[in-house]
Amino acid sequence: MISSLKSGFAQMWTNKRMVFIFFATNFMFGLLLMLPGRAALSGFASQTLMGQKLAGRFSFDFLFDFIRENGTIIDVYAVLFMIVPAVYWLFGLFLSGGAFAMFKSGEKFSAGDFWWNCGKYFGRFARLLLLSLPVFGVLLLLQFVWVGLERLFWGSDPYQYITYWGAWVKFGLRTISILLFGLVLDYSRIYTVIADEKRMRISLWRGIRCAFTNLGQTFGLALTLFLAGVVVLAFYNPIADSLSAPNGFVIFTLFLAQQLYMFWRMMLRLTLYSSQMHLYQRITDGVTLSTAERSDDVGLEGTPA
Amino acid sequence: MNCLERMPLQQKRLLAAITLLISSLLVLPAKAQEPPTLFEEPLSPRIANYNIDVQLNTDTKVLTAQELLVWHNQTQSVVYELQFHLYMNGFRNTESTFMQGTGNPRRSQRIKDKGWGFIEIDRLVVGYPSDIQNLPQTLFPDSALNAMQPAADLTAGMTFIQPDDGNKEDKSILRVPLPKPLRPGEKVMVYLDFRTKLPEPSFMRTGAKKEYFMVAQWFPKMGVHINGEWNTHQFHSRTNFFSDFGVYNVRMTVPEENLVGATGLQVSVSKNGDGTATHFYHAEDVLDFAWTTSPDFVEVTGKSQDVDIRMLMQPDHLDSQDRMLESTKLAVQYFQDWYGDYPYPNVTVVDQRRGAESTGGMEYPTLFTTSTSYGLPKGVRIPEMINTHEFGHSYWYHMLASNEFEEAWLDEGINTYTDMQIMPAAYGKEANTIDVAGIKIGQTTMARAQYLSLPDADPLIKSSWKFYSGRSYGINSYARPGLVLTTLQNYLGWDTMLKVIRTYVERWRFKHPRSRDFFDIINEVAGQNLDWFFEQAFYTNAILDYTVSDIFSRPVKKPKGYDYTLSTTQEDSVVTNDENTVEEAADTDTPSAEGEEKLYFSGVNIRRLGEFEFPVEVELIFDDGEIVRENWDGQALWTKFRYTKPVRLVSATVDPDYKIPLDANLTNNSRVVKKQTLGINKLAVRWMFWQQFVLDQPDFANLLFRIGEVLN
Repeated sequence: MISSLKSGFAQMWTNKRMVFIFFATNFMFGLLLMLPGRAALSGFASQTLMGQKLAGRFSFDFLFDFIRENGTIIDVYAVLFMIVPAVYWLFGLFLSGGAFAMFKSGEKFSAGDFWWNCGKYFGRFARLLLLSLPVFGVLLLLQFVWVGLERLFWGSDPYQYITYWGAWVKFGLRTISILLFGLVLDYSRIYTVIADEKRMRISLWRGIRCAFTNLGQTFGLALTLFLAGVVVLAFYNPIADSLSAPNGFVIFTLFLAQQLYMFWRMMLRLTLYSSQMHLYQRITDGVTLSTAERSDDVGLEGTPA
Repeated sequence: MNCLERMPLQQKRLLAAITLLISSLLVLPAKAQEPPTLFEEPLSPRIANYNIDVQLNTDTKVLTAQELLVWHNQTQSVVYELQFHLYMNGFRNTESTFMQGTGNPRRSQRIKDKGWGFIEIDRLVVGYPSDIQNLPQTLFPDSALNAMQPAADLTAGMTFIQPDDGNKEDKSILRVPLPKPLRPGEKVMVYLDFRTKLPEPSFMRTGAKKEYFMVAQWFPKMGVHINGEWNTHQFHSRTNFFSDFGVYNVRMTVPEENLVGATGLQVSVSKNGDGTATHFYHAEDVLDFAWTTSPDFVEVTGKSQDVDIRMLMQPDHLDSQDRMLESTKLAVQYFQDWYGDYPYPNVTVVDQRRGAESTGGMEYPTLFTTSTSYGLPKGVRIPEMINTHEFGHSYWYHMLASNEFEEAWLDEGINTYTDMQIMPAAYGKEANTIDVAGIKIGQTTMARAQYLSLPDADPLIKSSWKFYSGRSYGINSYARPGLVLTTLQNYLGWDTMLKVIRTYVERWRFKHPRSRDFFDIINEVAGQNLDWFFEQAFYTNAILDYTVSDIFSRPVKKPKGYDYTLSTTQEDSVVTNDENTVEEAADTDTPSAEGEEKLYFSGVNIRRLGEFEFPVEVELIFDDGEIVRENWDGQALWTKFRYTKPVRLVSATVDPDYKIPLDANLTNNSRVVKKQTLGINKLAVRWMFWQQFVLDQPDFANLLFRIGEVLN
């Protein structure tokens, strides 16, 4: 896992222009979600003292005034929240084709190759996503293992400290389910790119097998990078909140820090992709499957290293 | 000639037979332990006095009870009939007025097939004993029938009435014609055999959940005879209650292992040898009686000033016991120190059981139910808020027994107002309700949020069931009066308002105050007629909203044209659309000769956007730091302030000290000459960051979901 991480980081660094592409995408979508709110805020409060006071502690009186007087913007966001994330995630799927292909080739970033591969794999990845949704559903059922255990040991009317801690267990299981789903999707995409697979049910199956037969390594890798992103956030937020009376410079610095953090996250994401590619190739002993082998849709996908 | 004398012979014989039968069935009265005398001099008129024997069947959730009621006609009218509330019949079926108005579920509980509740009276006997004045206080139903001769069994004459909506399916008011009229000053005894089936799971404050029982609104309860008639309303989904004061002696028989909490003081507990025990409670000068029992309760005790606190906690809520006890202590302390003496020696706090949330947060005399949950963060001060609020009802309603059916604000609204004073004093001004992860919300903000969600659907004073919706009832009974009274307090001053409330308590405790009585006390204590305020705030749906609609500050230009005579030394001026205001504006360019100090012509326009007229202060800040305060009576639709000064105007603010929380939009209260975007940019930057983060890590929603669960 460590060697995959090292290799992944080196590959990401070699292709750091991709980090900018991923970051720019995230930034643009963030901007898209921010601008209507800023415009509404500006229209509502920039001519008032609240425009200044909000630089200090947030006022919930202001929030309630804002919501009451700006029903339209709430509706706008209701629509945006339904559409923008879906488009963003599809765009991420689109970019991942280029990224995985670059990492597979092991060559330095080439814009032409990157975008060509983005387009080449997008349709397959979209189909893969649809096919994998039932897998996600099944993984989410994992949390109900706890529900069953709770009922078995404590009956239908357990004390609240059972249900309270049980809810945290369920939260943990949901998180694991989401991470596992991410693994399945990642390794399915990796297989698709490596084998140039067009049959997504086979890719999905390969992804599932790879992710679960090598769970310690695949999950450990994903978890490490997941925690690396979250830990930085845990440090950043209290600092940002403690700046209760900032001036323009402080706000600009905050903005820069936030974007640096997002840039860091994009680096982590691409490091993860690259590390996963490295891990997969190591697990499969560097074998690039031939077309003949690809037709063997249930062949064993290597053994744990 | 009285009713008995008018009875036909057959009926007289029947009555005699019943009397004989009853007498023959009587057992010798058991010697009841004498309850203590709590108050040498009665605090209240003691109109409706109840002695009740009740047995709980924990399997069927049925109470079997015998009630002896002594009702004293203290009105100036002759009373020809009695009217009883049978609240539990609100849960009898889907057709009751309560359920028609409520829908099922209510308070997060759902009545299931066998969970419906009801009350059934099997026998009702009315007696007029000649020595009624001298009957012992502890004459219990089991020995009462013998003592209440002559008597008449009126079971067959019972009818249900529906004065509010004519819904014939509703059985929440029982009417019983008396065999002979009851003249002013006379008393009547009523004996009732009844059964009460508690809803399960609990529903709207009362009911059962497995081993836990919260027994409220459970017995036939007299209506209030006032102003020459019965003021008895059906049980509606939005109503609380209205009762007369009295003395209660109640013996509750429950499983031996159970703890019991009840209104009043425990007199004795005796084991019956059959696995049950009888708990005898006595209460004086109270207007209701509720009780609870469970084998799982954990008792926690404490004392605040002269009041004993007994908490019956759920075993899975013991992590909250310290904050629960401390908040109750603080509530007792603040209420006694600020608003007047709590006359009872004790208060019992009942912690709702899991799965019986509908019983939490309800008030009864000397007992209230509260709510908490395991793992609730300390910064979420919901238990503190509930304890403060529910103890507050010891004053607003349980001592000052207003008509909650018709003027709910008099208890819930004044109580919300006192919450809004006590919570900041006890837990900090800004974050007294929520103080978690940098989120700080106080009582006033919470009340504003509730109020602004539907501010103008109804006037504040209205019968509870006539409000536009449940939300409108809630707003006009809780949040809006809280904001109205806080606004009034800021107008009159803290000391004056405190005196108002204290006077109200002193003058109206153990009586039935109306809104007008409260207003009269305010006028009297404040020394001014505030009817203009009451009329707008309580009898209309008028919204209060003042705004700085325009602001400018520009250099004074050199004059042009023919003759001009305006002086540069002209004082500041005011112009309004009110004809009574005659000052002229200096809304003309003023000469500024060479070498003279540069002058700026500045002004603000203030508008009243709502119909509610209220005097306001306006603060103007100039760029040399000078602060000018203007007063406006707020009656006209707008006013303007104009200044010619050697400095620019920077900002203007209506109500700069935030004295008017009733204002429907606080943001438009200020205006600046130059745009202020610093705060907006800060918010936008933070907002954008979180959007970026969640887009990249959608599973973060999973964490938010869990945090939401914990806070709920």
